Amino acid sequence: MKNNRIVDHPVLGKLEDRKEITFTFDGKEYTGFEGDTVASALLAHGIRTLRVHEESKKPRSIYCNIGHCYECRVTVDDVRGVRACLTPIREGMAVDSGKGLPSPLNPSIPPEELPRTYAEYEEKSKETRGDTDA
Amino acid sequence: MHDVVIIGSGPAGLSAAISCRENNLEVVVVDEFPKAGGRLLGQLHQEPTGEWWNGIKETEALLERANALQTDIRLEVSVYHVEKNDETFKVYTNKGTIESKNVLIATGAAETAAPIPGWTLPGVMSIGAAQVMTNVHRVKVGEKGIVVGVNVLSAAIAREMQLAGVNLHSMALPAANIVTGDQSNPRKVMDALARIAHLAPSKFIQFGSRFARASSFVRNTAVKFFPPGGVKMWGMPVHIRKAILSINGEDKVESVTMCKVTTDGAPIAGTEEEIDVDFVCIAGGLYPLVELAAVMGVPFKYIEELGGHVPVHNEQMETPIEGLYVAGNITGIESAKVAGAQGTVAGYSIAKHALGDEAIGEHVKNSMEQVKTVRANASIQFHPKIDQGRARIAESFEVNHS
Amino acid sequence: MDDMIVCRCEEVSLKDLVDTANKYNCSAREVKLRTRAGMGYCGGRTCRPAVDAVLQDATGEKPRNDVPLKVQPPVRPMALSKLGGKDRNEE
Repeated sequence: MKNNRIVDHPVLGKLEDRKEITFTFDGKEYTGFEGDTVASALLAHGIRTLRVHEESKKPRSIYCNIGHCYECRVTVDDVRGVRACLTPIREGMAVDSGKGLPSPLNPSIPPEELPRTYAEYEEKSKETRGDTDA
Repeated sequence: MHDVVIIGSGPAGLSAAISCRENNLEVVVVDEFPKAGGRLLGQLHQEPTGEWWNGIKETEALLERANALQTDIRLEVSVYHVEKNDETFKVYTNKGTIESKNVLIATGAAETAAPIPGWTLPGVMSIGAAQVMTNVHRVKVGEKGIVVGVNVLSAAIAREMQLAGVNLHSMALPAANIVTGDQSNPRKVMDALARIAHLAPSKFIQFGSRFARASSFVRNTAVKFFPPGGVKMWGMPVHIRKAILSINGEDKVESVTMCKVTTDGAPIAGTEEEIDVDFVCIAGGLYPLVELAAVMGVPFKYIEELGGHVPVHNEQMETPIEGLYVAGNITGIESAKVAGAQGTVAGYSIAKHALGDEAIGEHVKNSMEQVKTVRANASIQFHPKIDQGRARIAESFEVNHS
Repeated sequence: MDDMIVCRCEEVSLKDLVDTANKYNCSAREVKLRTRAGMGYCGGRTCRPAVDAVLQDATGEKPRNDVPLKVQPPVRPMALSKLGGKDRNEE
């Protein structure tokens, strides 16, 4: 497992020993250190993608890392919209990546291809596989 | 009911808290980050004297003073609204509502995005994000990356990443589009660097210092004959005649496309090359984060030298709304030292107002002088005409207040 | 280049902004209302300067003194329970 930590630094010194913390991300277990944010702990393992854009389903990661942009929003212990860059990891924390939402009226779909009934929409959803359970 | 709520625990907020606590005011400092110190915490650069400005140590020093005065600092608190009813301020946060007689908004700055195609891919981040990951969290942001945008901030942070052993291919300009404006223009970039070169810590910017007093003809010549391999900053090429056209990749950053540009920043066809990287840092500059001042109804003035829209305020850090103060980068983009000096002024101003004690006026005056001294001795400056900007906003306050 | 996203939260592209400004010949504010640029999750913190630059170019409007897009509270997304429900606690 990758560990991209800056252990030794010519000016800031050696990284002090910190307590190890175990948490899960999308069901998989990871370890980080006390003081890590969810974002830094995952990046230390080489994990960038924290969510997908709710409509386009394109993968997103941290952008500002200081709580302004909300690109890093994840679900923590069932609470959605939590900023990974500001949230310290805690023992046993369950983090889930942000999921896409159903978008039946996506403007990129030509009008003639839009579903006419809910049943049709459900059929199409299964085909495109871009939508998840809400 | 508190005497003052200070929004932001950066150098401005902490310094203000210290002056307030010295006068025994009842203070609450709030910050949404899990560590105190704001963006000072991640700073690390060498002064022209050779001494290191270590943000972690500077923050520790401020916190030691604040803690010695038993300052109530609450972290992981996000303020979503501020209201004034009669003489009382209500500060609404994710952890409850705090009532206070005075409020200091010291929320600092946000980064101006310099979008280029592909900038939403995982692996692309603001230059500030890289600083925080590197110096605060001590995590490498990737295996090999590139910095897009050549300015004081990006050069300083690129150096910080090098120090931490992060592999950077080079620094280059963003390819021109309506949004990137001057940052894509080699001449303008050189001008900006040359003018503040003598103040900046990094070797690359000192390269520009030779042109600081040179005529624009000489500077234009420097741009025209800028080495195609870039000017090396501790082994890393810095380009002002090369630009990044796009960031490429399917689900994450895989490469960038770089090309040569004319002295005006126009891409030269046929010079494209693809560079494999797994992270990209975008540096578009900083702008004051004024949203809370805006919801409070504080009037603004657009002042380019200060970084954008700035809340109207005077040298005592008062806004036209009684009991509402501002300090730090929200008042205009300058260094952490200036932010701290402004915070001290704000703290004394608030104490003078809260206690109705004219004697504190002496401290206000002295700390105002200190701001000027700190500004004059600044080793990092983001805009050469900062004094003009400051004069204009103080003037605005007079106009507004009469 | 045209497809380039300017507002990340709402995925509004450069083309969307310019086309809307030209099609409706309207103010910067109206373009934002039509495209939702600057009205996404981050409250415009990331894209506002960029959107303003595009719209200045497209509409010819100069930056005015007041903050260009009126800022409405809450400036951070908040759960309803915190805004007035069971989680609210005052001091």
